[in-house]
Amino acid sequence: MATIKLNRLFRPFGFLLFLLLTLLWQSCDGLLDVDNGKGINRLDALETPENLEALLVNSYSRLQSVNLYGRNLFVFGDALADNGVATNNSGRIVPEARNQVGAHFNHWANSYAAINELNLIIEAVPKVVAVPAVSQTRRRRWEGEAKFLRALYYFDLVKAYAYIPEVTVPELDRGGIPLILEGIGPNDFEKANQRQVGRSSVANVYAQVTLDLRSAIELLDDSRGNHLASQSAAKALLSRVALYNRDWQTAKEMANEVFSEGKGRFLTGNEYREGWMLSIHPESIFDLKINNPNESIGQNESLQSSYTTMRSLEFREQTAGWGDFVPHNNFILMMGIQTTGVGATLNIQERGDDVRSFQYDIGPGRLVNRSGRRIECIKFIGKNGFDFGDNVPIIRKSEMLLNRMEASFQLGEEESALEDLNTLKSARGLDPVELSGAELLEEILLERRKELAFEGHRFFDLKRYGRDIIKSQGDVPFSDFRILAPIPDLEIRLNQNLQQNAGY
Amino acid sequence: MNRFFILFVIFLHAYAFLQAQVKENEAPVIPSRTEVWSFEKEFPDLLKENQIRLNSGSLAASYEPNVKKKGFRIKDKGSENASQNPSEKPYKKSKDNFIWPDTISDEKEKIEVLQEDIVSGELDWSGNLNLHVNIKTGAFSVVEGNEIFNMPVQSMDKAIQGRAAGVHVLSSNGIPGGSAQVLIRGMSSILASNQPLYIVDGVQLNTDQKAAFTQTNPLAFLNINDIASIEVLKDAGAAAIYGMQGANGVILITTKKGQAGKTQIQFNAFGGSIEPIKTLHVMDPQTWYNTRKLAWQNSGNPSPEANALNNMGILPQGWQNLSPEQLDAVAAGLTNYDWQNQLIGNGNLQQYELSISGGDNKNTYRIAGSFGSQGSTFDPVDFQRGTLNMAFATQATNKLRIENFLNLSTIRQEIPFAVSGSFLGSPAFIASTVLPHNPIFNEDGSYNTDIKGVFNQNVAMVNAFNSGFQRGNSAIGNLAASYQINKNLVFKSMFGLDYRMLQGEQFRDPRTPDGQTTKGRLSIQSGWNANFISTQTLHWYKQIKDAHFLSILAGVEYRSENTSDLSGLLTGFPAFEIRSVEGASQVESLDGASFSYRRAGVFGAIQYDFKKKYFVQLTGRYEGNSRFAAEQRFGFFPSISGAWSIKEEGFLKNSESISTLRLRGSYGQLGNDRIGNFTSQGAFMPGGTYGGNVGLSSGILANNALRWETVTSLNAGFDFGIFSNKLFGGIDLFERTTSDLILEQQLLPSNGSGTVLINDGELVNRGIEFTLGTAIFSSKKFHWEATFNYATLQNEVTKLIGDQQNLANNPAIAVGQSLGTHFTQEYAGVNPATGRAMWFDAQGNITYLPTANDRVYLGNSLPRHYGGLMNTFKYKGFEVGILFNYEYGRVVSDGQYNFLRENASRLTINGLQTVNRRMWQEPGQITDIPRPYIGGREVRSVNMNSGSASLLNADFIRLRQLSFAYVFNEDWIKRKLCVASLRLFAQGVNLWTYTSFPGYDPEFTGSGIGIIPQMKNYSIGIQVGF
Repeated sequence: MATIKLNRLFRPFGFLLFLLLTLLWQSCDGLLDVDNGKGINRLDALETPENLEALLVNSYSRLQSVNLYGRNLFVFGDALADNGVATNNSGRIVPEARNQVGAHFNHWANSYAAINELNLIIEAVPKVVAVPAVSQTRRRRWEGEAKFLRALYYFDLVKAYAYIPEVTVPELDRGGIPLILEGIGPNDFEKANQRQVGRSSVANVYAQVTLDLRSAIELLDDSRGNHLASQSAAKALLSRVALYNRDWQTAKEMANEVFSEGKGRFLTGNEYREGWMLSIHPESIFDLKINNPNESIGQNESLQSSYTTMRSLEFREQTAGWGDFVPHNNFILMMGIQTTGVGATLNIQERGDDVRSFQYDIGPGRLVNRSGRRIECIKFIGKNGFDFGDNVPIIRKSEMLLNRMEASFQLGEEESALEDLNTLKSARGLDPVELSGAELLEEILLERRKELAFEGHRFFDLKRYGRDIIKSQGDVPFSDFRILAPIPDLEIRLNQNLQQNAGY
Repeated sequence: MNRFFILFVIFLHAYAFLQAQVKENEAPVIPSRTEVWSFEKEFPDLLKENQIRLNSGSLAASYEPNVKKKGFRIKDKGSENASQNPSEKPYKKSKDNFIWPDTISDEKEKIEVLQEDIVSGELDWSGNLNLHVNIKTGAFSVVEGNEIFNMPVQSMDKAIQGRAAGVHVLSSNGIPGGSAQVLIRGMSSILASNQPLYIVDGVQLNTDQKAAFTQTNPLAFLNINDIASIEVLKDAGAAAIYGMQGANGVILITTKKGQAGKTQIQFNAFGGSIEPIKTLHVMDPQTWYNTRKLAWQNSGNPSPEANALNNMGILPQGWQNLSPEQLDAVAAGLTNYDWQNQLIGNGNLQQYELSISGGDNKNTYRIAGSFGSQGSTFDPVDFQRGTLNMAFATQATNKLRIENFLNLSTIRQEIPFAVSGSFLGSPAFIASTVLPHNPIFNEDGSYNTDIKGVFNQNVAMVNAFNSGFQRGNSAIGNLAASYQINKNLVFKSMFGLDYRMLQGEQFRDPRTPDGQTTKGRLSIQSGWNANFISTQTLHWYKQIKDAHFLSILAGVEYRSENTSDLSGLLTGFPAFEIRSVEGASQVESLDGASFSYRRAGVFGAIQYDFKKKYFVQLTGRYEGNSRFAAEQRFGFFPSISGAWSIKEEGFLKNSESISTLRLRGSYGQLGNDRIGNFTSQGAFMPGGTYGGNVGLSSGILANNALRWETVTSLNAGFDFGIFSNKLFGGIDLFERTTSDLILEQQLLPSNGSGTVLINDGELVNRGIEFTLGTAIFSSKKFHWEATFNYATLQNEVTKLIGDQQNLANNPAIAVGQSLGTHFTQEYAGVNPATGRAMWFDAQGNITYLPTANDRVYLGNSLPRHYGGLMNTFKYKGFEVGILFNYEYGRVVSDGQYNFLRENASRLTINGLQTVNRRMWQEPGQITDIPRPYIGGREVRSVNMNSGSASLLNADFIRLRQLSFAYVFNEDWIKRKLCVASLRLFAQGVNLWTYTSFPGYDPEFTGSGIGIIPQMKNYSIGIQVGF
């Protein structure tokens, strides 16, 4: 009986079901709508303060990449120059230390991606609305941070991919880099597809960087942590930029302002030695924070691993990193370190007076029988409570003193240059000198080399004086095309308006 | 709609339950007019047979109504009795109206009768989804369940390797339960997936491989012994009704169902051993030392002996005072330790199954449970699985039939440190590359942790101390009802679910280098996926007189999929024994995301045939997918196909020699929408973190004009059978043109390096595939049949973005070239005078410093020719099956081999003896291995493995499966053992491979570094029926 009843029920039921589903299908406009669980659309994204700040966070975060301050801007800045040798422990840094063709800085794409995001931020700052209303102070801070970061990215690009103003090899010089100040958001496909920006002149790029920094100095103050953009950081960076730009007056002015009152503390004597053992270097004016193991580059390519095999300052005999790039013997001697033996028998006999020599110590090496022990740079050994994580002091107070003395010298003020030089020397435990003219400049540059070694300056300090790189792996004259980094293949292939650097 | 669905499901379940209760009290009364419906269930094979007869199959053997065969297979009359598949039982039952042939022979009239009644309900309305109404004029292959029965592989994709023409299956590696690449008629897409659509009993599967710590094949949820048949739909005629999902072909899997009749209980078990196919002949310490010494000499080093010993970590103290000879003596005294022998061993495999099936004219059921485990040559890699497969069907009323199938499974896989990649703890990477003078154990039996060389971890210890697993649970099933509205109209409703849960843990022991720095490191993964499908169809059909048959099908389909993933990394464990999440002191990272998509479509098919001579079929599907912008979601995918059975023409009708002759053709369009769920939409994505905050990053740009890829498929086929189909076969010629190719357009790096998906590109696959089968010898006692299949394919990219000649981010993909082509500098061998490796520059001159401009297109990683050969011998109760599969024309780079090819020159790792013997040693020597030079590259040169130097020929012929079986005489065992059937068997998989490949194995996908290689196995088993 049940069967029959249900049978009757089902006869119209089947039809109805089909009809209903067909109708549902046709009537439901939203049938295929799904929540985009992943991102938010641009229009929403840059409308709220939170969105904008999150985009800003990303611009800092990009600085942590291997190709920027996570490693290359520091390690390659020395490896391409003459301070050290590659150990071939992991095979990394060997090509750079040998200046092999193509082994060079490669932060182009990442930097322009950051610049694009910063452009979007700068465009959005006046448009952001919120309840309660966004304060003018906050807007000024956003704009200031974005401009500081944009200047930093552009400066790091132009110094690597183009010649320093007025110090060029004319037959190889193809100008500056693309200067792009307009952002491309998720809905700007058409614009992105059509825009092919060629090189600006080196001078124009420096002008824009200077403009951004001047603006950042106006907009920012020093009220926040060293890991964020600040007025001091903008001034300090402008001092560096001006030094490269041979705008000695600005370089000196800015260095002077920051050195005398800005962020960071100039350390002397033993305090200096201990400064490098702290998580945040007291000399830092702008310090890239590596907050947690997730932000660390890790065992293979971090600054710590690249420079030393030591696990930590506490466990100096435990092997952790690769120690791929270590100081050259000449550099070790220059720091006043006397050694005996090699490998297992390597021993530091004497350190001399220079307090900076404590940043170089014997690591455990990669080979179990200790044959791979070398003197390694331990400036960036992890001090944040986990391995391979250390804050990166991008601009330190000492650099301001160095900038100031160099700028003073170039302005013909040898006396104050010498005074600054001796201030630094005595702070590092060295005897004062009495020099002038070319000798004084050489001494200034030597102190600069020793003070900022393994912090990515050496290559550019040679470059801005047009000097040849003299190294045991093979000299690289300033006239060699390898002084400039190759622009990524993809850019060259797609950008009709951009010519590759000579030689590549 | 969801509410409606739930109500409906509850209703159907309640009804089925009610029916089951009623059943016992009621005598089954079957009104004669509706008999068709119960027959269909009772004799699904017959219906299938009939269906094939009706619509004409793609291949010769499948058309003839009076010969029992399908697809490419001929089964002789006797062989049915030996079938181990319950659903393949012979038709011995008789009904009032018809005499059912127990071996189908010349029952022409009866078939005709069948046609009028049963045929009308002919479409495979049973548990399987019925969309393959359309396959008869299209190109398809069939693999029957009994062909792959008991093959010790974990997923059906690997089981059909070599068995279906034009279907290229390549295992990614040797992980039991690991992935395989399946390409039906080549690669039709660059960016979207090339994976076919898999459908089990109407449920479209989600086949994303999501296991984080090993590979878990998404098809491994199903025990292949529960498969009744696999149909591979290859052209538009067969697959266009699947619309936007059909471009890569469709694989329809039908599971076994119960049948009316005596309850059958079957027990099946097998077990065996797994062995490595090959271990590599690596250098001994002395050879390594001498080669390294030579490398230092060649590099101009004044103390090569000391340096070589130093590289081996055994430079004695005071070496400065030792002579070169004394230093040589240090190396000469070294012992060789066989790390491969330690790490590569034998494994076990076993499987047990019990199935019960039966039923009466109204209700049928089949329940099968299985447990199996398969080890591997690398401890602890394994695969364990339990499955429960259930199928129920009830003829609820004269007109209503309800069916249900459900497959539950749980899979667990133990994991090594890594299953691929150049990790120092990766067993398959290190086994052959660790320096051979390193003892594995200390004298006291503890692990030696003083491992010399760049791979300085004791990989045996690392894998013994670390632990982890991958687990996957799934529930896949459907509930279907078909309702005979009237004689010519059927409504069918199907709801299906593919539900998966995935979990994994990987622990880095603090006693090992990777866990030491963080006091242990635990990675965890969880994933959920619910994939829901609903298909509603109406089918009208009519046989008009004897001449015309018309069938019209219309349906709607809706599919939704929701996925969530969660993964985390935890550190800081108090002791190595504590390995659970609660024991961690720090969460290093925790990630998760959700994705979903929706798909909806209407489809229809019209089939017409005239006197079984001329067949025409039209299909169309209008379908949309949420992955595209609202205005671009919907597309229409039509196909037309036809067949002409020449055999039915008067002049051939009575031909004795020609038993089948037919032409087929199809033309249509299919779509490929298998891109990311949100990739067409521009968005700011979660970016990096800084100072305790998470950033947003730009980079994905919206393209509101993005559409699916369209594959225009053209197929021409020809089927024949000669001498009562003693020789039969089919040839298909095809051309598949993909237009609107989805490509990732790179923005200029200076514009922010974003990417955007666009439709701009075209590629073509042209090919021929054929199957040739023959019953070479067939008598009552001895039977030998062989089937050979072959496919050749040419792939050509004909257009890329704008007028670009190659893709900016992958110049190997270029107009005029095939996908898979290598784009690199051509190796010119070794300079016989100096021993330096040489390459050709763009002008064809020798260079030592090839640049990017010197790259040329050479060699292809896709095979040009591939297929298989099956042989079956039967003599009395003995059966022998031999399956070969082969590939020709595949050129690959094997990352593992590349490390081994460095010949002790670059890293302090071991290399191959075979490479070492070939290295250049004296002027005039002609070879391909340069003299060793520290760093692996000479001054002003590039790495010795650069360019095509490391490309390898990966052709092979493989004895995929060899099986012996003895089937006991049924009467005899019934008398003696009181069991219904008994079969004993032994088999081997991958027993023999013909190849010149120098690495572990030519069958792999990806970079090949540190992958678990293919293995061979032997097993014996028993099948008992009660």
